[in-house]
Amino acid sequence: MRAREAIEAVTNRRGDAVAVCALGMAANEWWAVTKDEHAFYMHGAMGFAASFALGLALSLPKASIWLINADGSLCMNLGCLLTEASQAPKNLKHFVIDNQVYQTVGGLPMVNQGRTDYAAIARGAGIAKARAIERLDELEKAMPGIAAEDGPSFTLLRVEAETGFLRTPPMTYEGPEMKYRFGRALEKKFGVTVFGPQGY
Amino acid sequence: MDVSEKIHEQLKKSGVTLAASLPDDWVAPLIDRIAADNTMRHVRVAREAEAVAICSGAFFGGVRSVALMGATGLLTCTGELATLNLRHQIPVFLIVSQRGSIDDHRIYQEVQGRRTIPLLQAYDFPYHIVNKPDEIPTIPDAYETCRLQKRPFVLFLTRKLVKGDAA
Repeated sequence: MRAREAIEAVTNRRGDAVAVCALGMAANEWWAVTKDEHAFYMHGAMGFAASFALGLALSLPKASIWLINADGSLCMNLGCLLTEASQAPKNLKHFVIDNQVYQTVGGLPMVNQGRTDYAAIARGAGIAKARAIERLDELEKAMPGIAAEDGPSFTLLRVEAETGFLRTPPMTYEGPEMKYRFGRALEKKFGVTVFGPQGY
Repeated sequence: MDVSEKIHEQLKKSGVTLAASLPDDWVAPLIDRIAADNTMRHVRVAREAEAVAICSGAFFGGVRSVALMGATGLLTCTGELATLNLRHQIPVFLIVSQRGSIDDHRIYQEVQGRRTIPLLQAYDFPYHIVNKPDEIPTIPDAYETCRLQKRPFVLFLTRKLVKGDAA
């Protein structure tokens, strides 16, 4: 399946979930499909969208948090799987878009390309609900169950690499603007206080 | 009340309800103390940058948090502090052992002792050094400064503070 098809199949079932997207392809595609402001789009800290999503999930236990990770980012912080398993947040679902390449920089191959079983790594870390999905019809069939089950879960979406650069543009908000938009959106949606009376 | 109890008390006074940690031996007693507090969510991590990003996510859930680590760990996560916290102006409060000081005679800490503060200055990360128990009550002001400056803020614990004069 194509990355865009996988993202669409996931977004169609997201309901009220708040998304945290790894930088690059995952963030760009999520923004292109949803234009959703209840989502944090990482600009840096490659690998650590996973930890950001965990912190958000622990802080908002009634919110459903969907992490949209990518294989390159996951490999920068495989330890995140141990931390997720140890905290076992019921409200966190971890998706990985696995295209086996560094797509945003021109499709250069991932380390150990084609030989790594990420779902097995997740299971080995202690996340029992871990699976890999390769076909679109299989993903569409599985998504209602994935959306309904308790976390933590790990769902690897095996997608085709695009040829050359994937030119989906990133979301258009600068770093601080995205912080305030995301924080204000969560304040409104969940009644929490992110910013104090002076706005910081 | 020992030093760890006093720091823990001031963190609670600052409104902190989540801590993410990776120990070095100087901050380990404080981590043990926090881990035993069931009113504070404690997250053990495998790499210090995880603690930074967990605290950053918690910020958006309206939760006040702290990242605890050693000086070597702080050096490992400067990239994430720059590209996540500086990039988006997300405050993160770090409590870090000030290793490599003149009374810390460990050869593998000497670079940390020489280069950590110049590195923080290069990034324009504010810091505050707590050297004596009667300085521990500055923590709530340090925490508020972190929030106000919207960036990483490092609270250093010195050897004299955590080990005492006799050690």
